[in-house]
Amino acid sequence: MTDTTAAVAAKAPAPAPKKGGKGLMIGIGVCAVVMVVGIALWMVQLSGGMVQTGMRNLDSWGFYITLFMFFVGLSAGGLIISSIPNAFGMKGFGDISRVAIWSSICCTCVAIGFVVVDLGGPLRLWELFVYSNLNSPLMWDIIVLSTYLILSIVYLWAYSREDAGKMSHVAIRVISIIALVVAVAVHTVTAWIFSLSAAHEFWHTALMGPWFVASALDCGTALVLIVVIALQKAGRIAFDRAHMVNLAKMLAVFTCVDLYFFACDLLTSGFPGGSGSDVVAMLTTGALAPFFWTQIVCMGLACVILFVPRLRTKGGVVLASALVIAGVFCKRCEILVGGFQIPNIQFADVANSFTITQWESGMSLLGYQGMVYWPTPIEFGVAAGVVALGGLLLLLGIKYLPLHLTGKEK
Amino acid sequence: MRYGMVIDLKRCSGCKTCSVVCKVANNLPNNIIWNRVLTEGGNAPDTAGGTWENPTMQHWPVACQHCENPACTKVCPVGATWKDAETGIVRQDYDKCIGCRMCLAACPYTGVRSFNWEEPAYYADFALGDADAAKHEKHTVEKCIFCTQRVAKGEQPACVADCIGRARHFGDLDDPNSEVSKLLATREWTQLHPEFGTKPSVYYLV
Repeated sequence: MTDTTAAVAAKAPAPAPKKGGKGLMIGIGVCAVVMVVGIALWMVQLSGGMVQTGMRNLDSWGFYITLFMFFVGLSAGGLIISSIPNAFGMKGFGDISRVAIWSSICCTCVAIGFVVVDLGGPLRLWELFVYSNLNSPLMWDIIVLSTYLILSIVYLWAYSREDAGKMSHVAIRVISIIALVVAVAVHTVTAWIFSLSAAHEFWHTALMGPWFVASALDCGTALVLIVVIALQKAGRIAFDRAHMVNLAKMLAVFTCVDLYFFACDLLTSGFPGGSGSDVVAMLTTGALAPFFWTQIVCMGLACVILFVPRLRTKGGVVLASALVIAGVFCKRCEILVGGFQIPNIQFADVANSFTITQWESGMSLLGYQGMVYWPTPIEFGVAAGVVALGGLLLLLGIKYLPLHLTGKEK
Repeated sequence: MRYGMVIDLKRCSGCKTCSVVCKVANNLPNNIIWNRVLTEGGNAPDTAGGTWENPTMQHWPVACQHCENPACTKVCPVGATWKDAETGIVRQDYDKCIGCRMCLAACPYTGVRSFNWEEPAYYADFALGDADAAKHEKHTVEKCIFCTQRVAKGEQPACVADCIGRARHFGDLDDPNSEVSKLLATREWTQLHPEFGTKPSVYYLV
């Protein structure tokens, strides 16, 4: 990171942020509108009841918690990838730390947003701080997530102080090391929400924590690559090809590690031939097979693009990054729905509109054929609103925050 | 003291009276069932199991297992579900529940916990059952509480008192002279999913 420090010092005082193009304003406007619609739909969900969602007693979490996992991953991965060069005093990936931290902050806000819209009683959120049950992995996650959010904001603030010459780079390095640790912790604890409950065969594996970190690293790196290449295209950031190639290679390695963990887990579940083989069957040939194979194909294809030097063009890298993000998203769906797909007790005699999804469509006697859960339109709407909140924050940050996005030529 | 329930599967005829009286005693909203009677044969009610030549019919009344080592109370972030140290009953606090549904995900006994997915609605225009039964709330989790309101007054839970086959027994598992302890000492029994290590307080005589 010393190279960038020198560059920053040479540039100081930083030029005033450019007001941004028309595209940015349109983006901000669209995000704001979608967010407002999302909030309205959330109010509909709260007043009319969560019966309007696809979630039911036997599949008690759904699209919101899937996206919660996904965005915690994006956030943690983005922060880790931008902090590693800082923390270890390595040559950086160019001047992208500030953008990466800001996109991480936005993703954290989106993740927190998804927990809030998933709650039945958001007005009782204050209880988390008054009646905290410190045994609960969910409580750990709330603590780590809020620490992480505050730390990321401090991290970004430290950069702006450094620009003003009021903070040494050593301080930033210390913060970056703490941030790195907390980012790993935040995703591990998110994994523990699932893996510490013995009730679901698919979730109850010690590998879940490391696996989540691997997924965070690949989709986080992919997000950073997409954001940085887009900003470079818009002429707002300088980003060397060498740096892009480094990041692309790392993305490929992280993706391979993610797939490797999945393979280890599937083999360990399936080999003894007990109840674990049901999980393997569910993923490879059962109800979740479309998600599973999409993930494998996306990630495999991304690795090919990223490993073959000739394909590692800007477009290729963006495509590979998008494929990795899509793959990780599929994996999140597999984890969430897969956990509920296999019941421990057959639900004879109790199928009603509160216990299973799509009971009205005559699913009751079919039992667990097909996926146990599928979101309803209102869930897509609310989710779009939460994601738009993140988009709005991201674009506003690009417009107003000192992210070193201006005055740099390609 | 640890209250427990012993259910004699040989005496259970699958009449579902326990489901109904539970619903009445606790004034359960529509679509909420704390006490379910499952059949081994399949997902539809009263499905026979076994083979074509040799069919079987076995009913399993399943409600909260009031585990000694509950998975649900550990994960509740606000302590809205907790284990009453005095009675061993796993209880619910509707006023505290934030509706995160972590307990539904953690409980290994699929389906014993219910969430009020909408404003509680009732088939009757007036409240049924015990006057001191806790009031149900929208977007909170609930489940069998061993009729705490009755047990506090020295009465039996509704399902035990009204079981027409006298298949259900309730009492203190820590007291070797209690009816439940004696049954467990003299009869062969099993429990649901002991492999999860939750140590349920509900026993099934087989």
